[in-house]
Amino acid sequence: MATTEFENLKFSLSLFDAMQKDNLSYVYRGFFNQQITDSILSLTEVNLQTEEQSSKMKKRVYAIMVEGLQNITRHQNDTANKNIQSTHGLFIIKRNEDKYYITTGNATDKKSIPVITKLIEKINSLDKDELKVYYKQVLNEGELSDKGGAGLGLIDMARKSGNKLSYRFIDINENDTYFYLHTIPTLKDLSTDFNKVAKDSLDNIVEIHNTLNKEDIRLIYNGVMNQESLKGLLQTIEGHLSDSADQKNKMFYIVMEMLQNIVKHASNPNNEEGGNPGIFFISENNGKHLLTAGNYMKNEHVKELNDKIKYVNNLSDKEMDDYYNHSLFDFEIDDSKKAGLGIIDLRLKSGNKIGHFLKEIDNNYTFFSLQIQI
Amino acid sequence: MEKLIIEKTSDTPKVILDYDNGKIEISERSLPENAIDFYAPVIDWFNDYSKNPNSDTVVEFKLEYFNTSSAKQIAKILLLLQKLAENNNVLIKWYYSSSDSDMHSSGIRYSKLVKVNFEFIEIK
Repeated sequence: MATTEFENLKFSLSLFDAMQKDNLSYVYRGFFNQQITDSILSLTEVNLQTEEQSSKMKKRVYAIMVEGLQNITRHQNDTANKNIQSTHGLFIIKRNEDKYYITTGNATDKKSIPVITKLIEKINSLDKDELKVYYKQVLNEGELSDKGGAGLGLIDMARKSGNKLSYRFIDINENDTYFYLHTIPTLKDLSTDFNKVAKDSLDNIVEIHNTLNKEDIRLIYNGVMNQESLKGLLQTIEGHLSDSADQKNKMFYIVMEMLQNIVKHASNPNNEEGGNPGIFFISENNGKHLLTAGNYMKNEHVKELNDKIKYVNNLSDKEMDDYYNHSLFDFEIDDSKKAGLGIIDLRLKSGNKIGHFLKEIDNNYTFFSLQIQI
Repeated sequence: MEKLIIEKTSDTPKVILDYDNGKIEISERSLPENAIDFYAPVIDWFNDYSKNPNSDTVVEFKLEYFNTSSAKQIAKILLLLQKLAENNNVLIKWYYSSSDSDMHSSGIRYSKLVKVNFEFIEIK
């Protein structure tokens, strides 16, 4: 069923499996700056608004994210080896049933292991009231690191999570280590099985991170696809500093069309409110970007879209141009759900064929995914 | 005739349609979910304008990004301007960033498809 043009096919499938399991996941791996941080917060907010009933939980998740993102931004340069892939900063949020799992990661000098370990162990040894006292104590004594209060940030994250902080160091090389900080905020006390839950989910994150490094995946979004999340994802792309202006523009156009296609044409087997579920990820391959988007659609529309992509892929440059011009002034199909101009625009702007992949889920729905290389 | 000013949002453009001052401009970003709805009043304005136009009409497109559904609405506006250009002076000023070759190409495409004078202006 898959086309040969489709790369990371296996990965797309595993993402698809994850999509069915998790209600939300967002992964960003790379350089962090204010714009990236803002985009991550606004994207998560879209999902928190549509999914999270408890405003208390919403605030906690948000606060932990803010602290965690600040931590990565502050510490992403704590290693001498900035250019190797495995030292990229990492942010992951997952939601599975009623639980959120928030992970931040950054490379750091092995020398800082004892300091961080001591601080987290101290925080984890304190109960709720003791943490409050400790927070004030650190605040008053000005026991701040030269980076501006990472200690306070950790205490605050522990307080907001209502649980212990999980962490892990995994060696990168003889000087550097990768530091994972994993938080599972809950309103109820989970203490009896918390250690097991936290260990398993952190194991899973480390495994995901290995795949991200191997496939050079920069971003994964799995959640509600509506105009708001589209804007959040576009903001992430704008904040992506590593690309040239022309490439950034191209990426912006293509992501915009790919996602708007999902916003308009996707179906929703679970009937969730606020938008249809979809996934989107960006990976890099020999200096090229691979953009992949996937969504559910009704089986009866699959053939039409499939045919359309095949048709567009087989056009010569001249034919493509003519077809585009024709569609541009064809106002008849304005109101229909036909994917006309968008699909051909993807091919025209990327200069490449459109990869596509589909998997029938049941009698009503198919998972359909598009891939563009730029 | 009444002027129509629409302030920009994060996904819709700034629109200035000012008959008295001869200023017609669409700028910033145009990526609305529903471009037909957004552009309907704009197209109505152009329809009215065409009935009693200024002696010279200059329309400025200073877009940063636009999606394909906006592209169709821009095509609609250009068709109205093509009609107007049959008996009037009409000039389209198409601005594009030097780092955005796609915006330049889009303008060139339109200029080949409608019979209206285009001027291309590169922004550094």
